[in-house]
Amino acid sequence: MRSDKELSEKFQLIILQHKGILFKVALAYCRNDDRQDLIQEMMIQIWISLNKYNDKFSITTWLYRISLNVAISYYRKNANRKVLNNPLIEELASLEDDVSTEKQDQLNLLEKFISELNDLDKAIMLLYLEDKSHAEISEIMGLSVTNVGTKLGRIKEKLKKKFSQMNL
Amino acid sequence: MNEKELKSLWQSTNEKLESSLRVNKHNTENITRLKAQYVLVSMRPTKLFALTVGIIWVIGLGSFLGHLIINHLSSVNIFFLVSAIIQIFLTTFTIAVYIYQVDLISKIDFSEPVLAIQEKISKLKISTLNVTRLLFLQIPIWTTFYWNEKMFLAENWLLWIIQGIITISFTYVSLWLFFNIKYDNRNKKWFQLIFRGKEWQSILQSMELLNQIEQYQEIGEDNSPTHFRQA
Repeated sequence: MRSDKELSEKFQLIILQHKGILFKVALAYCRNDDRQDLIQEMMIQIWISLNKYNDKFSITTWLYRISLNVAISYYRKNANRKVLNNPLIEELASLEDDVSTEKQDQLNLLEKFISELNDLDKAIMLLYLEDKSHAEISEIMGLSVTNVGTKLGRIKEKLKKKFSQMNL
Repeated sequence: MNEKELKSLWQSTNEKLESSLRVNKHNTENITRLKAQYVLVSMRPTKLFALTVGIIWVIGLGSFLGHLIINHLSSVNIFFLVSAIIQIFLTTFTIAVYIYQVDLISKIDFSEPVLAIQEKISKLKISTLNVTRLLFLQIPIWTTFYWNEKMFLAENWLLWIIQGIITISFTYVSLWLFFNIKYDNRNKKWFQLIFRGKEWQSILQSMELLNQIEQYQEIGEDNSPTHFRQA
């Protein structure tokens, strides 16, 4: 059993090293205005679950499970929890800077496509785009590898159609 | 656009995202001070208010009934007493079921696989429908508490016909709702009419999600158990 101080330091370190996972999941699951609240919810769950985390296992799988579970379930209820007074995330620059128009169009289309998927398909698509293997997606989602392959194939087919319609 | 280009397009936002956003360290420290108040804080104010009013009602009415039974049992209207006891029993049971369900939801381990957790949460949320079913069972009691013995003595048949129609129809409606408010009937018009308010949104969304999970499970799979890989 770790002391509170050790746990707190570990928590800070995990957030610092893997905040990208939280940001990406939040980006896929909600609008700009609500992203802070969602990331706060994810962090609270990570903090609550940290005591049960076993170092032997993959930290990214663990973090993806928590952040996706929070994004899909907790956030739907639009919780009014306001633990923090100041903004959780400090926005330093616009995301759209330095990106070519064509690339930005493609990115917008991809984001629009993801936003239209149902909650579970969205999770699979996100993990696929983050270059996770079928085996990793299977562990995170709790699906068989075959099932992941089938679902992913269908989602990619839809995406392909969408892009070809737009000639991108 | 091929798969490689697609992934590269998505991942091009990674570095930008991470460099454009910075987590406020002071606030992450605040999170590490969170303890038991977690569940309470996460409850919606309206639900918390309803729960508080329910508990006050049970304590208030319970104390009043206790006083009547101990001090005035011989003179108290027996119809009022029985109706009030049934009402208080159902309300207490409803509150207990609700608190139990909120507690179960709060204890779910979010680090388990997504599908399993979402199925568990959805089923638990949908089971809060049981609370509503129990509340509907109270309807007939509101048509009996004002009965009194004099009503039986006076041969006022018209009164009894009207009263009978009201009580029987309320009983029928409450029993019908009790047995028919369930997940299987989620697509029926009457169901959607009852549960169309904002407060029911999360239950309806849970139903939608459970539907998606069922579709996922229908796809041919080997059902092999999924465990963490060793890092």
